[in-house]
Amino acid sequence: MNIIMKKIHIKVFLLLILTSSLVSCDFNLDKVNPNSVTIENFYQNEGDLTSAVNSVYAVLQDQRLVSREWFFVHDLRGDDMATGGGQLETPRYQLLIGTNDPANSVASDVWSGCYAVIHRANVVIEKAPGVASIADAKRGQLVGEAKFLRGWAYFELVSLWGGVPLYTEYVKDLAGSKARATVDEVYASIISNLQDAIAGLPASYSGSDTGRATKGAAQALLARVYMQKGDYALAKPLLKSIIDSKQYKLVANYNDNFLEETEYNAESIFEVGFMDSNAAFSWGYNNGDGLGQETTVHNQEISPISWGNLIPSQKLLEEYESTDVAGNTKTDPRYKFSFYEVGDEVASGPLTLASFNIASSSVRGGAAKKVGWRKHTILYKNVASYYPSGNNERIIRYAEVLLMMAECQNETGDSEADVLATLNQLRDRASVSMPHYPTANYPTASKDARFKAIAHEKRVELAGEEIRNRDILRWRKQGKLAILGGDPITYFAANKFELLPLPQTEIDNNVNVGKGAQNPGY
Amino acid sequence: MKKNRTSLYRESFIPIRKYLLVMKLTFIFILFGLMSFASTTYSQSTKLTFELRNSTIETVFKQIEALSEYKFAYNSTKLDVDKKISLKIENQTIDAILDKILGSANFHYQIVDRYIIITDENSQALNTLELSQSGIKVTGKVSDNSGGALPGVSVVVKGTTNGTITDADGTYSLMNVRENSVLQFSFVGMKTQEINVGKNSSINVTLLEESIGIEEVVAVGYGVQKKTSVTGAISSVNGKDISQVPVASLQSAIQGKVTGVTVVNNGAPGTNPIVRVRGNGSISYSADPLYIVDGVAATDISNFSSNDIESIEILKDASSTAVYGSRAANGVVLITTKRGKKDGQIHINVDSYAGVQSVAKTLDLLNTEQYIKYGTALNTNAGLAVPSRFSKMSDPIYAGATQTYAQTNTNWQDELFRNAKINDNNISFSTGSEKSIYYASAGYFDQDGVMVGTSYKRGSFRFNSEHEVSKRIKFGQTLMYSVSDRDNQKETQGRTNLMHAIRSIPYLPVMDPTKEGGYRAANSGSDGTDPDNPIKVEKLFESTTSSSKLYGTLYLEFKIADYLRFKTTAGLDYTNILNKVHQPIYNDGFNANTSASVSKETFQNTTKTFTNQLTFDKTFGNHYLNVIAVQEQTAYSTNAMYITGRLSTNAVQELTGLSNINANGSLQENLLLSYLGRINYEYKNKYLLSVSMRADGSSKFAPGNKWGSFPSASLGWRVTEEPFLKNVSSISELKLRAGYGELGNNAIGNYDWQAVMLANTDYIFNNATAGGTHFNALANRNLKWESSKMTNVGVDFGMFDNKFTFTAEWFNKITDNLILAVPYPRSIGYFAAAYANIGKMKNYGMEFQVGYRLNGRELKSNLSANISIVRNKVLNLSNETATIDAGFNQDYGAYNMTRTVIGQPIQSFYGWQTDGIFQSAAEVAAGPKQSSAAPGDIRFKDLSGPNGNPDGIIDSYDRTFLGSYLPKFTYGFNYSGSYKRFDFTAFFQGVYGNKIYNGTKVLTEGMLRLFNAGTAVMNAWTPTNADTDIPRAVSGDPNQNARTSDRFIESGSYLRLKALTVGYTIPMSNWTKGNVSSIRIYGSGQNLFTITKYTGYDPEVGAYIPQSNGAPGTAGGNGSTSGLLNNGIDYGLMPSSRTILCGIQIKF
Repeated sequence: MNIIMKKIHIKVFLLLILTSSLVSCDFNLDKVNPNSVTIENFYQNEGDLTSAVNSVYAVLQDQRLVSREWFFVHDLRGDDMATGGGQLETPRYQLLIGTNDPANSVASDVWSGCYAVIHRANVVIEKAPGVASIADAKRGQLVGEAKFLRGWAYFELVSLWGGVPLYTEYVKDLAGSKARATVDEVYASIISNLQDAIAGLPASYSGSDTGRATKGAAQALLARVYMQKGDYALAKPLLKSIIDSKQYKLVANYNDNFLEETEYNAESIFEVGFMDSNAAFSWGYNNGDGLGQETTVHNQEISPISWGNLIPSQKLLEEYESTDVAGNTKTDPRYKFSFYEVGDEVASGPLTLASFNIASSSVRGGAAKKVGWRKHTILYKNVASYYPSGNNERIIRYAEVLLMMAECQNETGDSEADVLATLNQLRDRASVSMPHYPTANYPTASKDARFKAIAHEKRVELAGEEIRNRDILRWRKQGKLAILGGDPITYFAANKFELLPLPQTEIDNNVNVGKGAQNPGY
Repeated sequence: MKKNRTSLYRESFIPIRKYLLVMKLTFIFILFGLMSFASTTYSQSTKLTFELRNSTIETVFKQIEALSEYKFAYNSTKLDVDKKISLKIENQTIDAILDKILGSANFHYQIVDRYIIITDENSQALNTLELSQSGIKVTGKVSDNSGGALPGVSVVVKGTTNGTITDADGTYSLMNVRENSVLQFSFVGMKTQEINVGKNSSINVTLLEESIGIEEVVAVGYGVQKKTSVTGAISSVNGKDISQVPVASLQSAIQGKVTGVTVVNNGAPGTNPIVRVRGNGSISYSADPLYIVDGVAATDISNFSSNDIESIEILKDASSTAVYGSRAANGVVLITTKRGKKDGQIHINVDSYAGVQSVAKTLDLLNTEQYIKYGTALNTNAGLAVPSRFSKMSDPIYAGATQTYAQTNTNWQDELFRNAKINDNNISFSTGSEKSIYYASAGYFDQDGVMVGTSYKRGSFRFNSEHEVSKRIKFGQTLMYSVSDRDNQKETQGRTNLMHAIRSIPYLPVMDPTKEGGYRAANSGSDGTDPDNPIKVEKLFESTTSSSKLYGTLYLEFKIADYLRFKTTAGLDYTNILNKVHQPIYNDGFNANTSASVSKETFQNTTKTFTNQLTFDKTFGNHYLNVIAVQEQTAYSTNAMYITGRLSTNAVQELTGLSNINANGSLQENLLLSYLGRINYEYKNKYLLSVSMRADGSSKFAPGNKWGSFPSASLGWRVTEEPFLKNVSSISELKLRAGYGELGNNAIGNYDWQAVMLANTDYIFNNATAGGTHFNALANRNLKWESSKMTNVGVDFGMFDNKFTFTAEWFNKITDNLILAVPYPRSIGYFAAAYANIGKMKNYGMEFQVGYRLNGRELKSNLSANISIVRNKVLNLSNETATIDAGFNQDYGAYNMTRTVIGQPIQSFYGWQTDGIFQSAAEVAAGPKQSSAAPGDIRFKDLSGPNGNPDGIIDSYDRTFLGSYLPKFTYGFNYSGSYKRFDFTAFFQGVYGNKIYNGTKVLTEGMLRLFNAGTAVMNAWTPTNADTDIPRAVSGDPNQNARTSDRFIESGSYLRLKALTVGYTIPMSNWTKGNVSSIRIYGSGQNLFTITKYTGYDPEVGAYIPQSNGAPGTAGGNGSTSGLLNNGIDYGLMPSSRTILCGIQIKF
């Protein structure tokens, strides 16, 4: 072989090395996802189970639930709200005026969100017994939290849609979808969940656990559930237990229930945590997995200088006692705590008419006037026209416990004095200081009169706090709306608007629900 | 020895004494001067490979004749044809081969096109042959089909050495022709004709041109094949056609050119058009074809320059694509880049064009005066207050401005659109010697979008070479490096800027110096509405994508024997992508950022391919056999990283000093192992058979389902080779072919069968985040390949030497085991669906292509027309009643617009049918119950109810199928021709019978709530304007007049002059001669006109893919549009632009 040939062979050899080094020969087709832990390898210890419980709470922050559509569904179906103008988007407007159908995206999102809570809670409840390294008390607490959240979600579902598919274990394959359970079955499940939660949950937390579901939260929620069923007698001892625990009290400043700086205060029983993220909000449906969803758009949607999509309804404004009306000796301070008008002080100074970003006007003192929401906004410290905020959403607070107690007492035949003793606590709050019941406009001699006073007090105290919708449903069912002057929902028609229609996707794709299972009227 | 090629001419006849001619030709007379033009190409492009041991020279010549179209002429008394030699030829040109054979001998050879004349040194001056044989004298004239005289045609008495050639007038005269002998007329580029003399003494002959394409070779995947031998459905577009009409992307270059391929341009500069080969073959995944560049799969072809393309082949049927197995279900596009030529010359091509693009059509929107009128009616009818601004129109538009709102009349479309430049410059260099060939090029493409704030720039560099290291070893490489920068089309609130432009108020200015950032938006309080300022979105916000791509192959070929080659190829496709989004601190009066947001996202995509291929290729008498065996592995990986955060300043726009940092990343990998075998067999070039089998193993599937096998078989019958057709001169080609194959689709995620925990959520306890972990979807270990079974029958027909060609195809593709996100009830609690092989779908159709070619001396014309028909039907989903809905968007009526169900075409439009307008309260009361309907609202048809019967109530049960985005057929006409130095191309392209959901009409006429609208709303129903089809204007749309209905469904048919080009090749003057070989200048117009009834911007509607990098800090979240089942919905998509450009092509 001559030298040239040798050189050529070396070249070829080098080429071969180059070629084969470009691709390292890999014949292994078993590639494991390097980005995640498999289900089989998870749920080993306290940290895993805590993280799993946290993921249940995380759904609450999703825009399907508390950061957006959940408050819309309740607000729009109640009578506290009116549209701020033509900018209220179509599916929301449809809910407001009762033209929503099974395809309504707002309702469908709340449905999906609730079931996501249920699924993740089911996983926790099912996996918890197998977690090896965890103290039993901790295990009980974590399971209790999951059961509380599962109960909360089912209560949302049953009160809005009636009998819904009931899952007590997480779904392992697609054929595992369930038919509609009866309303009673769903309530039975909720009650059992919340009773377990009451047993497993501590009275309070400290430090970084603050915000987890407590025994009091489970009791208050269970009281709500019993009341919605009409079981006032069962609700009363739970409420009494909360009151007697001395764990909670009304805060002196009514407004402290709505400020970011006074979260987790003595009045708060359960709230959904949010955190200021410089106006970041995960618009679009990021499956509840996004890291960004720490804020709520409650401020953004209703603040009069932001989108002003909802404003207080005229009837709500008129519900507040005012010295303009004969028989009232004081204007309810909660009016000013709940609403903004021109001239009210915000972070940038007094609100001007020009700064109001709402088209619709209300009538105040016989004249057209712009009135927008103050409650749930952060204008007291931030007047950006765009700002999803970090203000926590108070789901249950002690004021509601007292109001529920007053109603239970009234319904179960307690004396007028006992009822008023409970009810007047709300009027005694330092920042409110309203005259005690009975008043000229709210006599309390009869049970019905007392009911009217309770309903008034509740509407004023909890205006815009996503309570009113369910109260109307309950009182309608019990035939009590006549006492309050008739059905407050103008479009209401029997055998239709008691319930929301099941989402069309559920009808179409849940073979066990099927076509005929839609709620009446849809 | 000396060689001589085209410079050797002789004006006189070549006298022959005693020449021995191999094959059937006895004598060849050639008038060199007339033929020289054709010679170079064939002799340089044809390369031969063979090996003979101890064979006579005559055998060698016969071998060359068998392998090529060459014919030898030589004098056997002078050349010792019985001399034995041994020879090994590997991919060499005829020059090189003849040099070897005749190396030492003292002979000349002359190559004139396909004829090789071997003469000795002394036989230059030959005398006319005189033979003393008895016979008649035959005279005549030979002409071409246009009647022109053909000089230099050889006329030979078949079987003898008696012959002559025609003179300058095309006449000939031949003595001593025996009766009943046969005269053979042959001429380069013309089909040889044989005429029986009988007793005629005068024979005039018209010679027909030989088809140019007849011996075309096409790439077929892992090899090439003669076009005449192809048995599958393959369409080709050559580089010349691509460079003739400048386009921004390779995909656009094939639009309308071939049957069975639809290309829909989609959006802004630098974005990929949607390409579908024979319909939409997938529901859950993009049905993009597989792109193979120089034999190696490429993940994205947007970085390739169209100037480097030698040819594009589209493999359409299963028998062609099955060699690509599990990735081939949606067709395969083979792209071959240019190589150098072994002609020893240096070729430099400069190609450059510049032009301007504009929007062909804008919508008629309200001006300020009309807007006030409309807005007043809209709000008043809904009982809403009129925006306070309406009564303050004489206010200045901002503090200190002299202009008032009333004086302002902003045309937001004009502000958004612009005349935009497009510019492309390329230079290429190629050369080659016996041992090596080289091709190098550099290009720079620069396009601004017709929408402000969008652009695309790409620089690319290519170097291809091939080298013969030794007789047995050859290696070569291709290498492309390109960098691109794209200024993306941006959007906010999940709404396109076109939508914002339609909805923006005409009395508002674009700019407002009193606002932070300088832009002005509507104030939902005083203006009562809130569209975003689209100019702000495009100009103030930054969203760029920079990518660089390195794409190369390296191959090494060993010749084990003449008929057996081993080739190993390594390919690397490396792409680095950087997305950057920056939104500064600003306040436009409605939307604001109190801190700037910045994010960067990088992807490193690597595909490594390693192929080992053994090729057996041999002809045994009448039998031709080509067998390949391939082992291949393709490893893919993506490294992704994402960081976002907030900045308190606009001065810095990078990832420094961030607060609220979020970061994440992932690694995605998959591996595909493949084994492939294919046999191509031909008998007498007449009966064709191809059989292949590929086995693919993929890491994407669970153990037990990793491997799939994909067989195919096809048959062809070239009827024209049969004796009964061989002599029918008018029919030049008739081939029947049929094939069947099975294909796969593995477009699913890399780890979809594995259920994993997601640790990417959290919750806030006590104002601090606490991590949450959960799982969100059901895993399915049973996932397997989507598989398609496809049958194809085709016929190729050619007449008059393929001057007229016709191809027809019929196909039927059943895609089974379609992987679908199982339509799941939300009550199971998962936010993400599980995937399962549950769907079945059929795509079937026909394709026709006709061509006509006229090659006159001065006028040359090529006409072609094609039409493709594809039908789609969904055969199975997860269950009988399963529905897959898509297209939901709050701004477009808040219903899903498409539904996929069994028995209908994929993603059919779905909604209500309208039934006129209620004229009175009595009509409202009489009609089917529509809650909140009032006079002036649209009456919808009561088609069904919960029990399947009309129930007197209009609700979601009354929705029905409203048509499909799929055209009944698509078509194209292409004319290209030249007259003298001018050349022309006119290219029409169209679709027929499809529907478009005109979302822009929902914006202009939907009247959902107060926004600017189209002028049509001025004709809205009022009690005094009852004769109209526009419903009443009422904010909030209580009757849902804008719900998804046939009101917004429009015909999408169109015929478009896609391109018109006129070119002129400048005659070479003395000073250019020797420096420049040709200069062509041209002008071209694209999308010059469109005939359509569609009332939106552009009937070429792609699919809307929401920008994932939409603006944090602005409103949005309006839909769940994924881009897959939203085809044909016009959400306000960027229209195709009209382009006028001129260019120059210089060859040195």
